[in-house]
Amino acid sequence: MPSPIVDVQQLRKTYSSWSLTGRRRLEAVRGVSLQAFPGEVFGLLGPNGAGKTTLIKMLLGVVKPTSGTASLLGRPIGSSIARARVGYLPESLRVDRHHTARSALRYYGRMSRMSSSAIATRSDELLKLVGLVGRDRESVRQFSKGMYQRLGLAQALLHDPDLLVLDEPTDGLDPVGRNEVRKVIDRLRDDGKTIFLNSHILQEVELVCTRVAILSKGQIRAIGPIDELAHREDQQLTVEISQDAPSPSPSDWSEVFTDPHELAIESQPIATGQRLTMTVADQDQINWVVDQLRRCGHSISRLQVRRESLEETFMRLVGDEAEVE
Amino acid sequence: MMGPYLAVIVDSFRSALASRILWIAFVAIWIFLAALAPIGYHEDYTTTFRWFDLDNGTQMKAMLARGLVDPAEADTALGRISRTFPADINRKLRQVAKGEDVRIDKDALADSLNQSMDDEQWYDAQAWKSTVRLSELRELDEIPDDKIDDSLRRRRARLRIEAALPGVFAAQSARSITLSYAGFDFPAIFLIGKTQFVALVNQFVVPIMMDWLLGFALIFLGILVTASIIPDMLQPGSLHLLLSKPISRTLLLLAKFIGGCAFVFLCVCQLVIGLWLIAGWRLDIWNVRILWCIPVAVFLFAVFFSVSTLAGLRWRSPILSIGVTCMFGAFVMVIGFIGGYFDGLVRGPDRISHMAFDGDQVVVATRGGELKQFDQDSNQWIKLIEGDFRRRDLIVPPIRIGDDTIATAKIRNGRFNLYGSGSLDLLLLDGTQDWKPNPGLRLPNGTRRMFAIGDALVVLNNTGLMATEIEQAAMASGIETSEDDAQEETQTSSGSDGESDDQPPASIGVTAWISDLIRMQGGATEDFVAILPQSVTLTEPVRVAPLSPQRDLIIYSRGRLLRLTVPANLFDHSNSDSPSESQQQAVVAADVLLEDDNASRTVLAAAGESVLLARQGEPIRWIDAMDLNLVAEFAVPDDQAVISMIGLGDSDRFAILTSDGRVHLAMMDADGVELQSLEIAEANAIEFDPQQNQLAVAHHIDAIDFWDLTHRPDRNLSGPAPTLSRKIRPTLTSWRSIDRYLVTPLRTMTPQTGELSQMVAALVSGKSSFAIGGESDEEQEVVQLKIARPVVSCSVFILVMLTLSCVYFSRRDF
Repeated sequence: MPSPIVDVQQLRKTYSSWSLTGRRRLEAVRGVSLQAFPGEVFGLLGPNGAGKTTLIKMLLGVVKPTSGTASLLGRPIGSSIARARVGYLPESLRVDRHHTARSALRYYGRMSRMSSSAIATRSDELLKLVGLVGRDRESVRQFSKGMYQRLGLAQALLHDPDLLVLDEPTDGLDPVGRNEVRKVIDRLRDDGKTIFLNSHILQEVELVCTRVAILSKGQIRAIGPIDELAHREDQQLTVEISQDAPSPSPSDWSEVFTDPHELAIESQPIATGQRLTMTVADQDQINWVVDQLRRCGHSISRLQVRRESLEETFMRLVGDEAEVE
Repeated sequence: MMGPYLAVIVDSFRSALASRILWIAFVAIWIFLAALAPIGYHEDYTTTFRWFDLDNGTQMKAMLARGLVDPAEADTALGRISRTFPADINRKLRQVAKGEDVRIDKDALADSLNQSMDDEQWYDAQAWKSTVRLSELRELDEIPDDKIDDSLRRRRARLRIEAALPGVFAAQSARSITLSYAGFDFPAIFLIGKTQFVALVNQFVVPIMMDWLLGFALIFLGILVTASIIPDMLQPGSLHLLLSKPISRTLLLLAKFIGGCAFVFLCVCQLVIGLWLIAGWRLDIWNVRILWCIPVAVFLFAVFFSVSTLAGLRWRSPILSIGVTCMFGAFVMVIGFIGGYFDGLVRGPDRISHMAFDGDQVVVATRGGELKQFDQDSNQWIKLIEGDFRRRDLIVPPIRIGDDTIATAKIRNGRFNLYGSGSLDLLLLDGTQDWKPNPGLRLPNGTRRMFAIGDALVVLNNTGLMATEIEQAAMASGIETSEDDAQEETQTSSGSDGESDDQPPASIGVTAWISDLIRMQGGATEDFVAILPQSVTLTEPVRVAPLSPQRDLIIYSRGRLLRLTVPANLFDHSNSDSPSESQQQAVVAADVLLEDDNASRTVLAAAGESVLLARQGEPIRWIDAMDLNLVAEFAVPDDQAVISMIGLGDSDRFAILTSDGRVHLAMMDADGVELQSLEIAEANAIEFDPQQNQLAVAHHIDAIDFWDLTHRPDRNLSGPAPTLSRKIRPTLTSWRSIDRYLVTPLRTMTPQTGELSQMVAALVSGKSSFAIGGESDEEQEVVQLKIARPVVSCSVFILVMLTLSCVYFSRRDF
């Protein structure tokens, strides 16, 4: 297994503040551990206040952890060498009003210790990539939010980072723009870059992320490939059988599906026969159901297994703690 | 390495250039410079008399009256000038001659003198030969009348009038400056030469502009514009991106801070460079040092911006940053005002200016016009003579004239009454009566200094030297002088009664008008005889130093150096009831003219067989006291101004107090003049105690250190330093305690932004001190420009604020 690009171990962050009523403490991140590997598009999900931004700020060295360890690209967080290899797109990029897109890229390129010639070369490429060619000498005062996002993406990619931290990269973009960003992310993934993506748009995460972590109340609720996050024990199996054999009553179905698995069966007559719906835990149970039906002489006309969606997984894990935006 | 931070600074410049307020400020600056550009000046000879040139109105009236009525003055320069006045002034002068108190408007006198310059019928070369002519007049007299232009002729006429009336006019520059605007002359002229004009611009005009334009307007504008820099940086979309870059937070903040100064730098550059060009093109003052205003103004702005930065970090609000910075500015101003008031009303008046000693007893005169004696039991200064600092009372420096006897005098309204009009009594302090001041003899008008020369008490005033017998003065101190005054007044009034204005001068009682007029002129009185030889006329600046143990006086009189010997038989009454005039006069033992006779500030000291002479802007001269020839010259330590010098007894050693508050011992050895500094700071006066052979140094307002000089019989300065034998550290009064424990700590902790204008004055003029005030050393005050203190206090403040800001920015989670 390759070395993780992002390695977080038991990271905690507690904010303390003083007021007239005394000291207040807020545990924003409570012992988070996760890893992101090279070439991965890692999604970070969670409701508002879950601690996602705090976690990203800690990774970028903006906020210091209360306890725990974390490393980026093999170096402790806060290391300027590691930060030099990270590209970051903040959620609401703010560029000083006296800049144009090109001068802003020059400024941020200098901040990333790039040479002037490298900045010029990369700027041309990236302005084309994000679709700002022709508007690169306009004042950013005239930019829409979508154009700001494109500029932000360009500056994040300017120094060709190994790790991209994208905070809501498609926020403010129209569907075409979102599609373009998705393509950029796919291309970067293909180029071997690691992307740490924080997004509210679950469908988008589902489309581009290879692994996700769901964060709630400062804790990881689930982490892994999206497929694996779905609740396997709650797979819904629907079987339709044809009318050529006498249909047993619902009570008889429970006799069919007894030992060794006791499944709760819902039967519903349909025009072509009967539809049986049941919850199965794994593939063995599906096979067993099919075997049992066949043993009883039923002819299976349709069989469907429906797994949990990411949104359902998210809602199941986070529950009533927050609504997905 | 510094690329990212340079990028931040450059970005700040770009941001500043993109600011509309900057361009509004630029336009305002350009308009101001355009309005200032037509200013100009031209230099002329000083010819016209103004009322303020008549420095001593009383003496002038008396001299003119004497010239008018005294037959002996008929053909003298004085008599000839006196007759040029119009009839109404002549009539008043005759009234003066009769002893009447007549007011003559100075403007009228000045106008009459100006009219008399049109036609020099009054001039007679023979009559003017006996006057003291300045070298400038002597040179002008050499020019034939047909080869002299009108302005030079009028200048010559003025100098001739001044020569005829010595001691009457304030010493003015030969050249005067008239300012013009777009070719039109301003009505007021400056009676200063170009050198002084340049000094005036450098030392006063530029610092004032610095105070108001740079120190106030631009700083305030700068704070308004830059207050948003830090809060803007702390916006999440901006800050998190910056902090994700491989840069140091501390350096990022410092780069933002430096970048924030870009705005003020751009404005100040335009303004100062504009002013420099205008000063160069229009006033011919190409002083590159003016450009020092740029870094100083940015430095001053940095003080306030450091506050704004910390406030911006803490509250992330431009409005709060501006509010906190303005409050800080107001606080600094209030502390500055309070400090200034304490300097003027608490510290200043207590500052020791002169000291006198009798055994262990110490009597001092203060800048506040008070005379005090140190009481060892209570460890406090006990007031012997109350003074009013605001009224500017002056104390004639006290001197010891005998056992348990110290002489002094108090001049009411001293600094506004330069020539001591009104009664001025000799005050003798008797040690056996707790140093209670006893009024005694009436001193000549305008007495400034007293010297004990053997049995004679010699006094110096604006007209010359007068002497009385110490014994007589001591006896008189026990006499009720008010009765004498009453008698004198009665005699004077009875003398003038019944005499009409039209009465011819010849009918005036000779004794009456001669004595009165001479007294009015500051001449000899019944008790004091004039001892200055008739061949000697003193011209300001005048300095006198006694040369003990001889009965000699070294006198400096505007470019002339004399050694006078006071005869031992000055008061010898055994041979004759009325000694001859020559017996009553000092003898000129040596007389030399120095190269230049300008009116620059001069300090004189004599000891043993040597004389030290320090004229402003020149090296100190070591002069042989016998023949008054130059022995050596040496530079003032650290290029400071000399405040005072004293001879250390008969040892050919001197102590020099310089404007940085340090004291140096000087003596001549085989290699030249050797200087050694005493380990003392903030010295404000020095005095020699011949009884104890100690050098007393007053420092830190009213503390005194006594340095024992006796252990150096070989006079070798290279030996061990003089030892500190005694200290006076008086208990603080309540106001002084408040000053020390409250005001001074507050001033120390508060950056002294107000004093930065002094630093500008020093940088622009290239001098660390300058003298202000009149010609006599009592009026003059050497202002030591504070250079290090504001820089240190402001630097420390900026450093502390930036450290706090950096720590906050580095440790804070954003």
